[in-house]
Amino acid sequence: MIVIGERINVMTKVLGNAMKTRDKKPIQDMAIQETEAGADYLDLNLGPARKGGPELMKWVVETVQEVSDLPLFLDTTNVEAIEAGLQVASHDHGKPVINSISCRPERMDALLPLAKKYDAGFVALLLGVDGIPRDASERGVLAAEIFHKATAEYGIAEEDIWFDPIVLPINVQLQQVQACFEFTEQIPYMAPNGKSTCGVSNVSNGSPNHLRPILNQTYMIMLQKQGMYSCIMDPMDEGMMEFARGGRQDIVNLIYRMLDGEDVNPDDLNEEELKFYKTVRVLRGDILYSDSWLEV
Amino acid sequence: MTIEIPKRTYKGAIRTITLGAGDKAVTVGGETSLPFYLFEGERPNPPRIAMEIWDMEPEDWPEHALEPFKDVVHDPALWAKKCVEDYGAEMICIQMISTDPNDKDVPADQAADTVLKVLDAINGVPLIVWGTASHEKDTEVLKLICEKTHGKNLAIGPVEEGDHKAIGGSIIAYQHTCISSSPIDINLAKQMNILLGNLGVSDEKILIDPTTGGLGYGIEYSYSVMERLMLAALTQEDERLQFPMINNMAKEVWKSKEAKLTPEEDPLMGDPKRRAITIECVTAMLLLLAGSDLLIMRHPESIKIVKDIINDFMAAN
Repeated sequence: MIVIGERINVMTKVLGNAMKTRDKKPIQDMAIQETEAGADYLDLNLGPARKGGPELMKWVVETVQEVSDLPLFLDTTNVEAIEAGLQVASHDHGKPVINSISCRPERMDALLPLAKKYDAGFVALLLGVDGIPRDASERGVLAAEIFHKATAEYGIAEEDIWFDPIVLPINVQLQQVQACFEFTEQIPYMAPNGKSTCGVSNVSNGSPNHLRPILNQTYMIMLQKQGMYSCIMDPMDEGMMEFARGGRQDIVNLIYRMLDGEDVNPDDLNEEELKFYKTVRVLRGDILYSDSWLEV
Repeated sequence: MTIEIPKRTYKGAIRTITLGAGDKAVTVGGETSLPFYLFEGERPNPPRIAMEIWDMEPEDWPEHALEPFKDVVHDPALWAKKCVEDYGAEMICIQMISTDPNDKDVPADQAADTVLKVLDAINGVPLIVWGTASHEKDTEVLKLICEKTHGKNLAIGPVEEGDHKAIGGSIIAYQHTCISSSPIDINLAKQMNILLGNLGVSDEKILIDPTTGGLGYGIEYSYSVMERLMLAALTQEDERLQFPMINNMAKEVWKSKEAKLTPEEDPLMGDPKRRAITIECVTAMLLLLAGSDLLIMRHPESIKIVKDIINDFMAAN
């Protein structure tokens, strides 16, 4: 699993301040930590960046590139800030990626030309004019639309498209967790050379903090089985990184067996395996989620 | 050529829960199919209706709601007695409106006295006691009521995540039934029942209150959550959701603008009494079709109509 480090974010207090005061040190420290933790890309999340967005993006990109060779995800809704970032982002170790372009006409018209002009990748966020798609099919319609527009109209290469099927929280959007899972499997059929990515930890947003890791880990492995190429996540989360780096094959095998339809007998499982077994069952919708799902 | 109507079989079933004690006790639940799908399963106990009374004289009821009770609303015991004797109520629900800490804030001992008098007056008919959903005050009031009515198997609610330990503890200790309440959310409904189970509330002593939205004021959310609770209970055999559902609907119906408007205020809205009763009936029918086992209703005429429809539906077996 390719890992995109999510820690450089204007929303966090320390880094938000550092961006405002143009203080390089905290941002560079974080970039170094994420790089050393094994991230493959770094996401630079500037939020809406309404005021002075282009200058800020340029400064953050240059600041991070002074200490890390990793290719960057440029994460803001400000189109001019994206362009400013693309002008200075290095291609030496991989193309920079626009994060993100939703399937709304005005966003596609504004940003797809930039991806082409600067030879960048982009995250195709499957969000349409009507908002979040309701099921796997609506995700498919949006994916086909942006895929066609990017490749046929703008001549962008398939491998530069990173589809984001939109992960939503299990405790409010049960069917959406299944819809995202179901749709992910179709991405490689639609675009064999395309990529995919997602904010996997959103699946546990709102769940009790101490229970979020097992939801995140299990869902990541489930999506991996469906062909998910990358996750935007915290590279300092050792538990997640172990799974992302191919560790815990015992658990991964269990999850894969369940997804392959094998009738796993819970009586044969040890205590840890049983927890993952129960978590697959709630994420797949076999049983209804509740905060105490591990106890029943 | 004969046409075979496709039938579905359900692996799960709703539990049966008995409310009250003695020969007038009422049993609800036990269904093994979706609501009134009697061609696919059993429904040993028809849905029931509890008649609503208040523990104080209502100040904001429209004239036509007050009319059947105007001689008794000053006294909850007389009011309850009239519901049973004149209108044949099989169950009574007393709303503890006077205990609202933001309003009259009547103390717990006085509230408990009222409940005892009502119990005396209804001669064994099962009683539901509904608090004000203020965790702190409900804990005081409902705990004391539990204690003073030991063994009567009242249905006590709403029991919510924030007060379930205190109230649930008393419900267990004094042998009552627990109304497990959650805010129109299927996951939280399940979570509440897990918490009650962990606390030690028996599976024979739980009713689900999914929270009832009024007609035109969010009933579709209640409908959808109830439908999904029913499906999870029957098709996914979700043991923490296989409990009968109760809907505290009367107050949602009768507080709406549409149930109160007079002809002077809006001449186009038709006869106010007939309108309000229709709203109450339609609300009740929606909830029954979504899977309700127990409705709390107000007007004797609405109750009569809905009972007739329930009888027709059950007779179609």
